[in-house]
Amino acid sequence: MIAAVWLRAPARARLHALRELYRRFFGENTPDARGRRLLAEWLSPAQRAQFEEHRYFDVVGCDTGKSYRIHYGTAANVHEIDGAGHATMGWCFVPSGFLVPGDVMLAQKIALETDENGALALANRFPAATHSEHFYRRPF
Amino acid sequence: MATQIVMDQTGDTRHEFDPGNAEALARAERRFRELTGAGFTAALRTGPGEVTRIKSFDPTAQETLFYPRLVGG
Repeated sequence: MIAAVWLRAPARARLHALRELYRRFFGENTPDARGRRLLAEWLSPAQRAQFEEHRYFDVVGCDTGKSYRIHYGTAANVHEIDGAGHATMGWCFVPSGFLVPGDVMLAQKIALETDENGALALANRFPAATHSEHFYRRPF
Repeated sequence: MATQIVMDQTGDTRHEFDPGNAEALARAERRFRELTGAGFTAALRTGPGEVTRIKSFDPTAQETLFYPRLVGG
């Protein structure tokens, strides 16, 4: 029996390594992963650090100076926040076309930082407490 | 090389071109007009994390990002 385990181990190890390679290769080339990479490239260092730690980042609206928190997601993921970081209002606006979360978040960042009033004019508002923190912290 | 990045369902599609090549530059300008005409927003990175929107083709831009028209969710 020991011999059988010993003989099977290398094959199992090889299979495991192959699976890991497959997972890494395709995991890093999925639309989701590409979207996250593009987002990371366009965030400021502070926003990137915040996103890596909390899966959200803050932006300042170019027209009003208000702060917004953009959570990882593709809908109902933007909150206006107060000075203490508490959500006061939700704003839902997304680029059309069923994009991946990283792309959606980047479009939202650019919109708020370069045309805040235009973005909010077409956004739908929702109560700040619609989703719990847990909702936004689900795995990638 | 300069790059035009178009957000899509694959994450993004990148179009690289040599800004010193007149034909490639003309193709890039045509792509810019087609995308913005279809409702895409064009943006440039002006610094780490800093962005600006552009309404007309910038032949000196190293990287231009396009995202589809925004809609209320």
